[in-house]
Amino acid sequence: MTKTRHYEGNPQKNSPALGATLAYLGVNGLLALLHGSQGCSSFIRLQLSRHYKEPIPLNSTALLEDSVIFGGWEHLKKGIAVAADKYKPQIIGVMSTGLTETFGDDMVSALSSLRSERPDLDDIPVVLASTPDYIGSMQEGYQLTVEALLTTLATPSTHTFKQAYSEEAPSVVLLPGCHLTPGDVDELKEIVREFGFRPITIPDLSISLDGHAELEAAPVVQGGTLIEDFKRIAKSKACFSFGLSMEKAGEIIEKMHEIPHINFPALTGLTATDTFILTLAKLSGKAIPEKLLRQRSRLLDTLADYHDQLGGLKIAIALEMDLLYSLASCLVEVGSEISVALAASQAGIHKLSLPIPIEVGDLEGLEEQGGKSTLIIANSNGRQVAGVLKLPHLRAGLPVFDRAGYPQKCWIGYEGTQQFFFDTLNSVS
Amino acid sequence: MFTNLTKLDLKDKQCLSDVGSPKLCMKALPGEGAERSCAYDGARVVLMPITDAAHLVHGPIACAGNSWDNRGARSSGSQLFRRGLTTDILENDVIYGGEKKLKESILEIAVRHNPKAIFVYATCVSSLIGDDVDKICKEAEAELTIPVIAVNCPGFLGDKNIGNRIAGEVLFDRVIGTAEGPDEKIPLSINLIGEYNIAGDLWGVIPDLKNLGITLQTAITGDAKFDEIRSAHRASLNVLICSKSLTNLVRKMEIRYGIPFMEGSFYGIHDTSETLINIAKALGDPDLLERTLVYVQMKEDETRKIIAGYKKLLENKQAILFTGGVKTWSMVSTLAELGINILAGGTQNSTPEDFQRMKALMDPSAQIIEDTSSAGFLKIIAEKKPDLIVAGGKTKYLAHKTRTPFLDINHGRKLPYAGYQGMVTFAESLARTVLSPVWGLLRREFPPKEGEQDD
Repeated sequence: MTKTRHYEGNPQKNSPALGATLAYLGVNGLLALLHGSQGCSSFIRLQLSRHYKEPIPLNSTALLEDSVIFGGWEHLKKGIAVAADKYKPQIIGVMSTGLTETFGDDMVSALSSLRSERPDLDDIPVVLASTPDYIGSMQEGYQLTVEALLTTLATPSTHTFKQAYSEEAPSVVLLPGCHLTPGDVDELKEIVREFGFRPITIPDLSISLDGHAELEAAPVVQGGTLIEDFKRIAKSKACFSFGLSMEKAGEIIEKMHEIPHINFPALTGLTATDTFILTLAKLSGKAIPEKLLRQRSRLLDTLADYHDQLGGLKIAIALEMDLLYSLASCLVEVGSEISVALAASQAGIHKLSLPIPIEVGDLEGLEEQGGKSTLIIANSNGRQVAGVLKLPHLRAGLPVFDRAGYPQKCWIGYEGTQQFFFDTLNSVS
Repeated sequence: MFTNLTKLDLKDKQCLSDVGSPKLCMKALPGEGAERSCAYDGARVVLMPITDAAHLVHGPIACAGNSWDNRGARSSGSQLFRRGLTTDILENDVIYGGEKKLKESILEIAVRHNPKAIFVYATCVSSLIGDDVDKICKEAEAELTIPVIAVNCPGFLGDKNIGNRIAGEVLFDRVIGTAEGPDEKIPLSINLIGEYNIAGDLWGVIPDLKNLGITLQTAITGDAKFDEIRSAHRASLNVLICSKSLTNLVRKMEIRYGIPFMEGSFYGIHDTSETLINIAKALGDPDLLERTLVYVQMKEDETRKIIAGYKKLLENKQAILFTGGVKTWSMVSTLAELGINILAGGTQNSTPEDFQRMKALMDPSAQIIEDTSSAGFLKIIAEKKPDLIVAGGKTKYLAHKTRTPFLDINHGRKLPYAGYQGMVTFAESLARTVLSPVWGLLRREFPPKEGEQDD
């Protein structure tokens, strides 16, 4: 379909810098510093905070008119130095914005200039992610930031860690995409452990944004991947990336450390989960654990019990690409019809396929095209569509601010898939 | 050109009486973690509640995408204002300019959504690439039958206050006084300036105005229709609610239309009564004043009777207050009404005058929050160990981690707290929070120490 509109109506996109923030929030001891105006960081904090119900530590270089004229180069240097001095983080993670990318601040030279002026800050690694707001969505920003984290922190060891871990279980690297919730990441780690592996998860939202009361609210991230874990990647047996957007990050590790890498575009659905489980079984040389087989068997029973209702569904879905593919392919597999599939951005749209073409679109597009469906799946902002079309609305993606427990929810593996079917069916009944 | 950072004196020292006072146009330091917002945010706060207008953000997705439909401003009619509309500036637009896309967007929105007017917000990126939003709006307006109004509010201009002021200028220049029909003043009519109908606040005040025979011409801009604001110049009095952010607007309206203005607040019994009485005085109608004096006495008695039970429960609790605008000082007396003491108070987005007013109302022993970053806020909580925190939504989850009862009084809340009815709702909410059994569960030692199992 040709694009008939020039504006975006009820956007489902979030900004790339928000995706960058999310990735940084999964790294322990990191202070996220947004290079842009204060509104950029304020909106991101609000958006993430109403989704996760958590305080979102995000600092900013607070650019004003003078920096627009003279550039924000000095501001960035000052921002890194002030944040380092005031908050003493282990790592600083910087992301750029539309503002700074438009006037072309060179973050790399700003950092090297700061390095020469402040040798005392040498011990603090600084990650630079270039995430202009005018390219892509949350998924792209998250992806670029994970790649920046790996190229900065996972370099073949200059600091070699003591080999005390050699007796431990063999490790595998997990690179979850931004479509996985903290609950998903938790389940993912659990599955990998079932096969006797020790997961190194980058970033690890399951222990930073999982919503736990012991968290000390602080300006730096608590929980998440330990900085030491980046150095342990080299010893890992394999690297698994989840969501097509994470493929490149996996390839970075594969190249850097000569570790085999496999990408799993989806983890929701029987076939998708089977593929992952069989890979783990093969890699570990172990039989598939009884617990997982039991979960699979329950899922099969659910499919049999509800095949008729699932087959009658006609679903209009609008989500970030990786999540869209994950959920939609799972529904297609059980005979549901996808009536509309709108991705938030271009990425991956030509590489992944559904029975119907995937288009880039907004929620006004969903409203225009989704009328003949039985259910819509979109983030909470889809509530206006649901209201206009008078259709049930299953929340997924981000932000979900009007339903409880979404960050903790699990959509992957046999159990998560089963729960997804239950949620889908309960939404329409 | 490149300064040695170590030699920089990073902050001007403030004189002592001003410690903790918000500085207008003060530059936040990079990396400091001040957590304020931008001019675009300030402008949208003021203009976006206009219900039957379309609000088009000419910027990349960061401006509208992360923020649309996220404030609790409510409408009794059109829901058009809740639409997230943006030109979604992409890489090619940055390179080739976004003017053409903007114009097409305006024309399409006019057809698709049939708005009474279209407000077009310029942002950092659109300003940097040199898009002439004024020119495009004029061009589009010439092809349409509705006003297309440019709002020049790129975020880099400063913080929220500056955006509020820009929005006020826009309303004055482009909206107010543009209605067709008679221009004469409507007797006993007022505008409520800076009332955004958050969670339906305005609807808690309208019944009292009605009962007194005062006509609300319009709120600027809560639950407002575009045409009502066009006729705002017909009001006899402007009542400035969200304190100083729209002072420029009321001053200009006084000069051009001869409308006097006063400040007021509808938070709390005391301030609500005082504001109603002051409105009656300012309208200069002796009958009205007499009616009002009787009315507020009746409402005060009635309200105090209802909240007496809550007061008993909340009396002598210790609170930390952190908010902006009129609530900076109005919440001090609202909390005092319930017998709650303020241990520490602070503000971020209000004016120095609001701040001084808050300070004057608070007990001299109350501490002023100087460091308004999350870190500073946490430090105060740790030091003071309050029974409750009353603040805006952005500190909510931070406060919860300290296992302290918290009440959101800013735009994220679901319940209206304005007027006499609002005071009852406020007291209810506060009691529900403070007395919730979950705080006890949260503080329980687990596993229990030896010998304490039977606790």
